[in-house]
Amino acid sequence: MSEPAPGGKPVAGSLPRFVVPLILFALAGGLWANPWHFVSPVPPPINVPAWATDITPVRKPKLSPEYKVAGYSYRCSDCHKLFPSSPEANDSPFQHRDVVLRHGINTRCFNCHHLTNRDAYVDDWGHEIPATTPQLLCGKCHGPVYRDWLSGAHGRTEGYWDKSRGPQMRRKCIECHDPHQPPFPPMPPAPPPNTLRMGRQDYPHKPAAIKNPLHVSRGESDAEASDAPALPGPVNGKP
Amino acid sequence: MPANESHPMAGALPPDDGRPPQLTRRGFLSKGAVALAGASAVAAALSPLRELKPGDIPSLEQFLQKHYKEMTADEKHAAIARIAREVAARYGVQPNVADPPPLSGVEFVYALNISRCIGCRKCVYACVAENNPSRAPEIQYIRVLKMEKGSINIETADHHYDPPVVPGPDSYYMPVQCHQCAKPPCVKVCPVEATWQEPDGITVIDYDWCIGCRYCAAACPYWARRFNFAEPQIPAEKLNPDMSYLSNRPRPKGVMEKCTFCLQRTRVGRMPACVEVCPTGSRKFGNVLDPESEVAYILKHKRAFVLKEDVGTLPRFFYYFDERGSRYHEPIAPIQPEPGGGA
Repeated sequence: MSEPAPGGKPVAGSLPRFVVPLILFALAGGLWANPWHFVSPVPPPINVPAWATDITPVRKPKLSPEYKVAGYSYRCSDCHKLFPSSPEANDSPFQHRDVVLRHGINTRCFNCHHLTNRDAYVDDWGHEIPATTPQLLCGKCHGPVYRDWLSGAHGRTEGYWDKSRGPQMRRKCIECHDPHQPPFPPMPPAPPPNTLRMGRQDYPHKPAAIKNPLHVSRGESDAEASDAPALPGPVNGKP
Repeated sequence: MPANESHPMAGALPPDDGRPPQLTRRGFLSKGAVALAGASAVAAALSPLRELKPGDIPSLEQFLQKHYKEMTADEKHAAIARIAREVAARYGVQPNVADPPPLSGVEFVYALNISRCIGCRKCVYACVAENNPSRAPEIQYIRVLKMEKGSINIETADHHYDPPVVPGPDSYYMPVQCHQCAKPPCVKVCPVEATWQEPDGITVIDYDWCIGCRYCAAACPYWARRFNFAEPQIPAEKLNPDMSYLSNRPRPKGVMEKCTFCLQRTRVGRMPACVEVCPTGSRKFGNVLDPESEVAYILKHKRAFVLKEDVGTLPRFFYYFDERGSRYHEPIAPIQPEPGGGA
């Protein structure tokens, strides 16, 4: 400051004259170049599998006594009129290895199938139930469910809720349940939501490391949660 | 003027003799540099405006649009035409924007059989495909809670479950979405009356009137309201072109949205998307004023309950269960054919 500039003038007063534009230019350049680029915390959209929006029922039974072998279609009676069965049959003969009967205490083929007319089912009095109305057969034992199904509290209803504006369809028992293994089959779930996965999303996707902070693990219902603390606390989801 | 010549700020000082101020070359350059740098800084600070897209600024027509309930039929037609134009410009899809009125003599009610729900979340994605919510950030109207059998403890429920198969052992699943309450707290708190209850029981939102204060999200006891924190992103090929003003037209950033029982479908007699996709038939929908309807039977004959009955919201979304419990949900071990058949 005390050193004289060439020409004998002091430089003390010239400092702000250059500093102010320099700061402003640096600010302008910094803002324009944007070195603190905004990293969006929004994760990319997930891939939704096509089956997740498929509205067709889980089963497509024929509702008719057809049996397809090697491209040919037979009626059940075509074979069974030649080969009579034992009334107490309870195993799968080699022609029907695909049939595995896991229906609780219902372990006899002819509890449901008609003994002499294999194109029909059998009711409690030995009369025939046509193959197009399997619900009458299931209703023999599953009375409350049949009652609920008749009034619409059980089973799939498709089409229009307002029958005056369009068709409405009720799905029959065996269009969801396999009659030989009736419980509804387990299926993989569609992807979980990621609405609570907050913060930076650019680390590798680790579902096991991302937990609902509100979730309290109890028991070993899912193995990944077993290492979570048993008490609610500040679980930030990272191990 | 020796004083002026020796002073560094000479150009800025007025001369002593009362003549007009003299601009020196040095003064012009120094002041000009400051002015230029300042202008650059202002321009750089405004540079995020470069990313502004034409649709980001509301048109005058949109800005002056009235509340939905105050619009005349002609104004509604104009608003619908504007929405169709904007959707076509943004997504390249010609939408079919409608505004179906509520049906007379219809009150929609939803019933869900929690002893049949297996927690597959197909309803969640059928809803997303139907209702045009943002895919990123993700907005889903349905949240499927996994709970332990024997209690309804929402505090310990998990909706991020992701096992290989569902249903899991000792769990049941409770999907939660908008309950379309008869006494909706979300409507009560809205400071601008952008949300209201329609005569058929559906609580709707005028997305052009919502100010995004999120009071309704705080008021809802069912966590049913969703907020567009960022600009919604919907792939053009996934946009559902059948949309209506009050339900599934694309929403802007900064507004609330929620389940509307798919009113673009249900007001023309169809089922909501979540009912249509449910593989187990756990979801039931219909007009409760029709005594022949499925939901009327369920409410009359089945064991129905509502979630958080004590908060007094009178939901139109009922859960019910079967008398025989859910023993059909017991997991099935992989079946091996037993040699010689099971006896």
